[in-house]
Amino acid sequence: MKIAVCIKRVPDSETRVKIAADGKSLDEAGVKFILNPYDEFAVEEALRQKEKAGAGEVVVIALGPPAAQETIRTALAMGADRGVLLQTQGLHADGLETARALAAELKDNEFDLILLGKMAIDDYNHQVGPMVAELLDLPCVTTVAHLEIAAGKATAEREIEGGVEVVEFSLPAVLTTDKGLNEPRYPALKGIMAAKKKPLEVKPTTPGPGALAIVSLTLPPERQAGKIVGEGSAAVAELVRLLREEAKVL
Amino acid sequence: MIPARYQPPLPLDRLLLPVGAPGAGDRMELDVLIVGAGPAGLACAIELAHLAQRDRTDVNIGVLEKAEALGEHSLSGAVVNPRAFRELFPDVKDADFPFRGPVERERVALLTARRAFTLPTPPTMHNAGNYVASLCEIVRWLGERATALGVNLFTGFPAASLLVNGRRVMGVRTTATGLDREGGRLSNYMAPNDLLAKVTALAEGTRGSLSQAWLDWQGVTSENPQIFALGVKEIWETKRPLDAIVHTLGWPIPTDAFGGSFMYPLEPKLVALGLVVGLDYRDAALDVHELLQRMKRHPLFRRHLEGGELVEWGAKTIPEGGYYAVPARRSGDGVVILGDSAGFVDVPSLKGIHYAMQSGMFAARAIYAGLRAGDASAAGLAEYDRLVNASFIMSDLYRTRNMRLAFKDGFYVGGVKAGLMTVTGGRFPGRKIAVEPDANVERTLTPGASPGITPDRRHTLSKVDGVFKSGNATRDTIPKHLVIGSDVPAAVAEFYAHMCPAGVYEVVQGALRVNAPNCVDCKATDVLGPRWTPREGGSGPKYKRM
Repeated sequence: MKIAVCIKRVPDSETRVKIAADGKSLDEAGVKFILNPYDEFAVEEALRQKEKAGAGEVVVIALGPPAAQETIRTALAMGADRGVLLQTQGLHADGLETARALAAELKDNEFDLILLGKMAIDDYNHQVGPMVAELLDLPCVTTVAHLEIAAGKATAEREIEGGVEVVEFSLPAVLTTDKGLNEPRYPALKGIMAAKKKPLEVKPTTPGPGALAIVSLTLPPERQAGKIVGEGSAAVAELVRLLREEAKVL
Repeated sequence: MIPARYQPPLPLDRLLLPVGAPGAGDRMELDVLIVGAGPAGLACAIELAHLAQRDRTDVNIGVLEKAEALGEHSLSGAVVNPRAFRELFPDVKDADFPFRGPVERERVALLTARRAFTLPTPPTMHNAGNYVASLCEIVRWLGERATALGVNLFTGFPAASLLVNGRRVMGVRTTATGLDREGGRLSNYMAPNDLLAKVTALAEGTRGSLSQAWLDWQGVTSENPQIFALGVKEIWETKRPLDAIVHTLGWPIPTDAFGGSFMYPLEPKLVALGLVVGLDYRDAALDVHELLQRMKRHPLFRRHLEGGELVEWGAKTIPEGGYYAVPARRSGDGVVILGDSAGFVDVPSLKGIHYAMQSGMFAARAIYAGLRAGDASAAGLAEYDRLVNASFIMSDLYRTRNMRLAFKDGFYVGGVKAGLMTVTGGRFPGRKIAVEPDANVERTLTPGASPGITPDRRHTLSKVDGVFKSGNATRDTIPKHLVIGSDVPAAVAEFYAHMCPAGVYEVVQGALRVNAPNCVDCKATDVLGPRWTPREGGSGPKYKRM
């Protein structure tokens, strides 16, 4: 089984976000970058499907700055076979342009399965997976929480509001992965050593300008300090009064 | 109460394993294995790679690091003497080293509860020519250099045991990953790895567990036992700029304890500050974290912190024994011990980073010569000890050999003695001042002596908030990594609760409760109480600019 996984280098979720002087990008000084956590599920699932099929190849593809090579190495250390970096200068806001660049790389390679995280934790766009599917004219299943592939037929489960949706589809297909799909493996020592020698192709890429531009970024307003109304049952009446009169939520 | 009575012995059965012991997954062979990616370990790796490059030979070097990413377990003040950097990177200008800026002004102050009296800067504490830096940033920079030279860095892999054969160190076994609280295997379980090498360099930092095990096993002693201090540190974004490095003595540390504070500008409005107290303190209720919180209310600090924001918190012990606590030898069959693990710290000048790096470079030269001669035996690696003994590392430590030790009799007596030592260039009092291990120092619990503080979360914070600000996100379900003595009375439990800056120990209805995931690997517990053992890779703090 030949599987492509599209991954993204994102700031660690523990990052204390600072906005750069231009007012519309992240100040990257001292920020630790990681493999997007939702993409980790995609990489893990690709490895499991390849292991189950007994043969195949897992290719990881990233669009991003030169430093995204480290992110690809992380996926290679987990067990992916080779990597492709579509190397850009800086980050790109426009999901469609990102999808176009990825689709161009994917289209002539005859992958059985194309996996992406359901979203990147930095921009929360949820766009690129479905757009890649559309550009390649392939079926698309988003937010996959369980996946079975047998004899060319695939079944996915999606956790939707209040229940589970079961979807059947044929391969090739594009899937976006959700938390709960699997427990991503830690890179093994041997995997880290081997990753250094796995092929990583760097292709300079210039995505189009796109139709979206980030105008400004602002931090959420600072949270006001809480108020302790009192203790024990005596405080209940006062709490109810405040919720009704001050917070106006009752 | 004598803490040693309640301290379990070093778990040698876990720390030393015969090579080939069952239970390992992958096995890997290297020429040189370095345990710990701090300044000592990385300088050793870089110097080795330089030597191999010079001779166009191949040396396969691996560095194990327990933190998830480089620098995340590194914490220091820090004001750095650049001499080891200059020797390791002769072609790099000072301005290109990972320092925040040169020391331009310095002040030493004696504090009372409300006032600060500027003191003449003691000669040992002059920092002209030195640089303010973050050790996390230094470690990341060194790591990049090492990677570029072909060194294999394995972050997230703590070394759990030394693998030995006869008297020879053969390598290490890493910790397992993916165990639940009872030791059962989770779906992402990974077995320990065995790494075998011709030479293993132990650069574990302060209170290294494998270093302790090797010294104990081989019966290598020192003239004095190693003693430690605990430092708690915070980083603040401030409204008011700081233009000098500041050290203080006196309040809020009781006069029968040894310690002091520091406040350094990383940037004019980004300030590192901390409080360091020797673990030979007498009052069982002394709490370094709490003293630091109280200290921040003093006008000297408050002036800078008012309106600012705490961005990071951390804690670490420091080996303070100096010259007489350095082990008689730091090399053996297939092994060398570097940096803080060997005790290369000079307390009077508050320096350790350049000694750590220099010891790593000396070790690299001895290891490289040994590999070329096919001799990684104790005799071959003894060259490392000779290089260290003949260097500024040991002559600096010798000059100030008794200064820290004089303070075991309290602040005032110690201050007078240390003054005489400075005037006489270390010749007073002429002989070694003997000390006991910190765990043997009698403690007294005076009820009500330490009123405690209620953190306001703006200027002062609780231990739990501190752990959060250390970036510690260790999962709650990992096995306990602290080995507790069997009968811990309530008074001792209370002593642990005060001693631990991360709130790992709590007294709940007179009994000890252990919140092991809080642990930030400062190792104070290992010095005075429950033993610390390595846990799953990536556990513990995630320091950014400490």
